[in-house]
Amino acid sequence: MSDNIIIEAQGLVKRYGDPSAGSGRGVEAVRGLSFAIRRGEIFGFLGPNGAGKTTTISMLSCLLEPTEGTAIVAGYDVVKAPGEVKRRIGLVPQELALYPTLSARDNLNFYGRIYGLRGRTLRRRVDEVLGMVGLAERAGSAVEDFSGGMKRRLNIAAGLLHRPEVLFLDEPTVGVDPQSRNGIFEHVERLNADGMTILYTTHYMEEAERLCHRVAIIDQGRIIALDTPRKLIADLGGGIIHLGVANGMAEGLLEQIRALPEVRAVTQFDGKVKVEATRAQEALVGLLALFNRTDTDITSLEVLEPNLETVFLQLTGKRLRD
Amino acid sequence: MLHLHQILSITWKDLKILFKDVGGMVTLFLMPMMFIIVMSIIQQGMFDPGDSGQPRRLPVVNLDSGNLAAEVIAQLDNVDGIEVETDWEGEPMTREQAEALVTDGKRAVVVVFPADFSERVEERLDDAGARATIELITDPAVSTQFIAPIQGMVLGIAERVAETALAPARIEAGLAELLAYLPADAQILLDKMVIETEKTNVVHVERVVPPGMGVEVFPDSYQQNVPGYTVFGVFFIVATMAESILREKREGTFRRLLAAPLPKPILLAGKLLPYYLVNLLQVAVMFSVARLLFGMALVQPVALLVVSLALAAAATGMGVLVATFGKTQTQISGLSVLLTLTMSAVGGCMVPTFVMPDFMQALARFTPHGWALQGFQDVLVRGYGLAGVWPDAAALLGFAAVFFLIGVWRFRFD
Repeated sequence: MSDNIIIEAQGLVKRYGDPSAGSGRGVEAVRGLSFAIRRGEIFGFLGPNGAGKTTTISMLSCLLEPTEGTAIVAGYDVVKAPGEVKRRIGLVPQELALYPTLSARDNLNFYGRIYGLRGRTLRRRVDEVLGMVGLAERAGSAVEDFSGGMKRRLNIAAGLLHRPEVLFLDEPTVGVDPQSRNGIFEHVERLNADGMTILYTTHYMEEAERLCHRVAIIDQGRIIALDTPRKLIADLGGGIIHLGVANGMAEGLLEQIRALPEVRAVTQFDGKVKVEATRAQEALVGLLALFNRTDTDITSLEVLEPNLETVFLQLTGKRLRD
Repeated sequence: MLHLHQILSITWKDLKILFKDVGGMVTLFLMPMMFIIVMSIIQQGMFDPGDSGQPRRLPVVNLDSGNLAAEVIAQLDNVDGIEVETDWEGEPMTREQAEALVTDGKRAVVVVFPADFSERVEERLDDAGARATIELITDPAVSTQFIAPIQGMVLGIAERVAETALAPARIEAGLAELLAYLPADAQILLDKMVIETEKTNVVHVERVVPPGMGVEVFPDSYQQNVPGYTVFGVFFIVATMAESILREKREGTFRRLLAAPLPKPILLAGKLLPYYLVNLLQVAVMFSVARLLFGMALVQPVALLVVSLALAAAATGMGVLVATFGKTQTQISGLSVLLTLTMSAVGGCMVPTFVMPDFMQALARFTPHGWALQGFQDVLVRGYGLAGVWPDAAALLGFAAVFFLIGVWRFRFD
């Protein structure tokens, strides 16, 4: 593993249940993931709920043992040296892993002590992370009195106390209002600017697009694409046009659509036509002209601009939030 | 060192959470305390035979035209724990007043000596079938358990007074028949024997306790209810602890803690210790309240401590076990309440085991509550020291071990 690589996974598999029972292999939540994350990178796992993102993070943070495969985190094998790995990582779970009746400071003091911080060092670190997430003035308030966004920020702060080399952020913006979400993005970018490697899981494509240097699109336990968001969109994004047609398609019309210059692929389903285009706007002009010429009535029209959502749609045939 | 620091950190955090939870504090401290106070006072009459400090009042109506009833009443009044009431509002009590006292619920029982009491006793000299009657006017709702000791005591004293009254005449009559056949010296000797017999009682009853039972006290309502409801309250930690474990799983805090360099056994130890300490605090508070409010004697402190330590181990062990059976808060609450209430009742915390049927008394031995209560009563009531309570403590530690081992075997952190 090169010095520049801080996480390297090879053929990671997580299988639940008794392989000898029922279907014979149990349920595979993660099916042979291989990837490498560079030091100082914000690496995103983008995929729908149940895709295997949290299971992968759980294996990388030594909470679950892989059924097959290996993972090296910060130079240590997650199975052979879990203690060394745990000292070097910070986990911000999807749940608000906080004690609601305790104050923000009490929560942080507790988590800091678990990592062996004490006395003046603990106080300094707690003040530092409270300031970092903008909660210094509410340090003495009970967490149950915080807004959703404040709780999320504190949830992140609790993962930073021991200054980890790698921070796992598992869906850190679930249930957060747009303003707080932007605040969280800024914190993540600041941490990364200070040199922290961040593994960020989300099912919001905007977050992956905005924050991540590279994104692994994951579905049904497999990585189906991995690159920078820009490259993924350029290669696969294009655009998608959904057209509803009134009286069915005239014979030969599908072939004429497919022949248009910007069109990559055409499929027909439920009385609609799905047109995958390299550039959606240009393709739309050609499509409208064609439908006009052939007297085909359009009942509905939806243009999906190229983004990671359309990349996912193209790769899997379904939306991220399906 | 880090692990000890981690255990103490988890303990401190859980204690803070626990003491901020008003409802939890009420359940763990206030509820058993209120039970102790209320039930001890309510059941005072049921458990206490009465004593010189707090005698039981016994109204007596004396209509006897002779002297024997007065002698019985005088002897009743000398019984420790009994205060005879013969007057009502400054006047000798009448039968009607006595009946009204029972009807109005002011007294549970009244003793009435009829006008011919002495006369009927003396008739016995000539008529072997003659019987004097003493009436016990009682509320039909009052249990036989309450009445029987009073009835026995009154009957015993009355029999003794009657026999004492009749004895000289009977002896004299018997001897008169013999005298005719005896020489003069023998007559003088017999007279002396009769006088000595009248002066002293042949039988004397003294209450003693077996060796090793140093304190000559018998259970009162506090000695039943203080340990009983302390044990009852201690086991309420089961729900509190199991719910706390479930919350840690559900809210992801266990997940976060396990992603830290914190071994699972250390995390579990950290989760157990605060509840164990709270159990000890509960016992200390309940017994202190009993000492301060009711003056309950706290003897053999080392033996009390040993029983308390073993009891707390059993209760926290049960908490771990219950936590592995409930997947929701409702399930855990239901299971905890079912177990703790049933075991408390079977174990004798609410109703003493000596009033239970034999099979229930045997069943009490299968509950930690039964052993804990026996342990505390062995110390508080029977005055046993460390050597006397080790079987109780060992049984409690056995329960703790079984609960804990099954609990740990079933325990899941996620």
